[in-house]
Amino acid sequence: MKLKLRDIRIIMMGVNLIAICFVSIFIYYTTRSICENYAAREFLNTVNTLPVRPAGVVLTSIVLYMCLVASFVMRERIYANSIRFALGSLVFDFFVSVAIVMILNFNYNGIFFLVFASIISYSKGERSKYFTICLALACFLLTDQELLSINYKLFLFSDYVNYYEASAQQYYIAVFNIISSLNIILFIIYCIFMIQQQKGTIEEINRLNDAIRKTNEDLQIANNQLEEYAKITEKMGQTKERNRLAREIHDTLGHTLTGISVGIDACIATIEAAPEDTKVHLEKISEVARNGLLDIRRSVNELKPDALEHLSLEVAITKMITDMNSITDMQIFFENRTKELNFDEDEESAIYRVIQESLTNAMRHGHASRVWIVIEKKDGEIELSIRDDGIGCNKIENGFGTKHIMERIQMLNGSVEYKSGDGFTVIAKIPVRWGKEYD
Amino acid sequence: MKRKNRWIVSIGVLIITIWMGIGIYCSAQEKVLEVGVFAGSNWDVANANSYVIIDKAIEKFESTHPNVKVHYYSGIRREDYSEWFSRKLLMGEEPDVYMVLGEDFNQFAEIGIMKDLGPLMEADESFNQEAYYSTTLQAGQYRGRQYALPYETVPYLMFVNKSLLTREGLSVPSNHWTWNDLYTISERVTRDTDGDGLLDQFGSYNYGWKEAVYSNDAELFNEEGSQSYLNDEKITEAIRFTTGLAALNENQKVTKDDFDGGNVAFMPLTFAEYRTYKTYPYKIKKYTQFQWDCITMPAGSAGENRSAVNTLVMGISNSTDKEELAWEFLKLLTYDEEIQMDIFRYSQAVSVLKNVTESEEVAAILQEDMEKDEKIIDNKLLGEVVENGVVTARFPKYSEALAMADSEVNRIISAGDNIDNSLRILQRQLNQYLRQ
Repeated sequence: MKLKLRDIRIIMMGVNLIAICFVSIFIYYTTRSICENYAAREFLNTVNTLPVRPAGVVLTSIVLYMCLVASFVMRERIYANSIRFALGSLVFDFFVSVAIVMILNFNYNGIFFLVFASIISYSKGERSKYFTICLALACFLLTDQELLSINYKLFLFSDYVNYYEASAQQYYIAVFNIISSLNIILFIIYCIFMIQQQKGTIEEINRLNDAIRKTNEDLQIANNQLEEYAKITEKMGQTKERNRLAREIHDTLGHTLTGISVGIDACIATIEAAPEDTKVHLEKISEVARNGLLDIRRSVNELKPDALEHLSLEVAITKMITDMNSITDMQIFFENRTKELNFDEDEESAIYRVIQESLTNAMRHGHASRVWIVIEKKDGEIELSIRDDGIGCNKIENGFGTKHIMERIQMLNGSVEYKSGDGFTVIAKIPVRWGKEYD
Repeated sequence: MKRKNRWIVSIGVLIITIWMGIGIYCSAQEKVLEVGVFAGSNWDVANANSYVIIDKAIEKFESTHPNVKVHYYSGIRREDYSEWFSRKLLMGEEPDVYMVLGEDFNQFAEIGIMKDLGPLMEADESFNQEAYYSTTLQAGQYRGRQYALPYETVPYLMFVNKSLLTREGLSVPSNHWTWNDLYTISERVTRDTDGDGLLDQFGSYNYGWKEAVYSNDAELFNEEGSQSYLNDEKITEAIRFTTGLAALNENQKVTKDDFDGGNVAFMPLTFAEYRTYKTYPYKIKKYTQFQWDCITMPAGSAGENRSAVNTLVMGISNSTDKEELAWEFLKLLTYDEEIQMDIFRYSQAVSVLKNVTESEEVAAILQEDMEKDEKIIDNKLLGEVVENGVVTARFPKYSEALAMADSEVNRIISAGDNIDNSLRILQRQLNQYLRQ
């Protein structure tokens, strides 16, 4: 389609060259003929004014037209990708065409259609294309020779035609009219093609839009399915866990309790007959019970998910950092400015979770390479700040775990602050509990 | 990017160098100023000294302007000049400075090929347009702009056959004579001398209605050429006078032969003709059988002793690239007193400069032509005639409109129609033509 449009412009270029050559060379040859026939003085009576040099008109207009052609070739072929060159050369084209029209004394102004055809091809959007078409028509109508000759003295092609006898006059006028009409027709065809192509582009965009919407819907369905699947997986995990728990209880607690209950039953029976034996027996039972307790502790320990449950906060945080450092490129610096991290369990849990969540955010959303974690005591508050050097975010959105952090801290009557500039910073403040001195 | 910039800079430097080179080359070249002049006289009289003045001017100009050459094509006759010039003009090769014939001036000014001299005149402090006779300056004006400067001028005068008047016992009228005098004298001299029943001695030949109009302070058209005043009282009066004068001849046609044979008392002629046939060698060629002289035109009842003045003007091409030189040369031809003095020596016209025409030197030159006792036209009077002269209107349709008026008025005079009615109709027709 694009190739077709450019072809029309190349044909228009040819037609305009013919028109310009026809007008200027016709005037030049007529002038020569008038001079050779000694009709110069008589001819002067029939004109408004004369071109300064008819040969000069031919030469200048053709040279200027070649400038237009050169500009076209450079714009379309050599610097085809430079929008700045295109814009500059279109402005150049416009002024050159004005110069040509003026040199020809408005005897031919169809060249504006050629220039505006180029401008239309570079204007974006339907409205600006229509606007350019209107501008082309305005240029064409405003440079109408008959209109301008009311106020300005112009040499007229028709005056030169009138020098010839009537039959020749008709012939020359017909040739000129055919050339200029051809140019206008080509411009109209060009505009129609251009508008059709514009319509085609819109349809294409609509089609693509539909496709995107459909894909989006599919994606949504897939997402829902995935969620469903995740829920099922979770349920299955829970069931599995329950089964494991049941087995564990059955294997350890059941086994021990069974042993204990059987042993105690035996002791009840022997306590009066052989108290010494029973005593020994009970000691065994006690050992079993202790071992059972150890087993249960072990089982429960295995069931606990986090290090926090069985480690101190500082060790837990350090472990988390070490784990994180080992699995990502992110460098994490932890600085504890209080003497000892000695908090209630809920506070510890909150601090641990906030750090965990923030690190996850810094990695996932901020793409940070370094994170600094500082815990310090300030004005009766514990201040926890996690700062990263990632991309930050313009608008703090919920759902990045920030809401979760907020809830946890608010439960402890604390406050959370987010800052996004160079990277992202989370500052959480927790008031020191009444009657408790951490230091 | 850097390489691209270097390219642009070097191309720019190259262009500027070439441009400057061409500029230096051109300024070092000899400049040629083209001048358009014609051979012979503008006034239909023989002139053997066609190029004397222009050659002298060129010599003077080239001596003060080294590196400038002034060139003209010699041998173009006056009758060919218009066509020759038009051809040059069409090809865009017109001279930088050129003479413009009276019949061409309106059209040339209209199509804008002549430079508006106003700015040049204003910018030149050594130039004062007051030095020219205002009527001659007017000849180069078109629609309020000065497109040409006058080179030489010629007023119309009245030829008087002194021998005939003396024979009839009459003296040559004074330079302040009137229509009445003309009529009375014409009436006296118009008669049949050989008794064949036909008139063979006449009062005037070629004295037409236009001459009468000019001397009756009337205008034929307005300045813009949109209105004719043929129905004006003064014009009606002039035409009535001409009709009366013609009636004296009793429908007999006065011919040039009658005049040359010494049988007519008065005939309008130009100062150029006067000068030509009053001086050697042409003196012996014409009007040898009688004594003659020239006086002013008779004044009408509402006017003065005015007559048409005909001025040859020179202009500058609108497309010249040597504007300054062209102006200098035009000024030399039209404003230099030494060159203008030569108009009296080598041409038959009158200088357009007041200082020259009214100088003692010109008085001496004019006196040379005359016999000792004659002193009818002196240079002071000549100056007056030029200054008070009538300049024909300058608009594009002037010559056509005048030709229409002339033929119709002449028809009215010879047919003896009702003058008032006919003129009213003619005026309407002319106005219609002018406004087309």
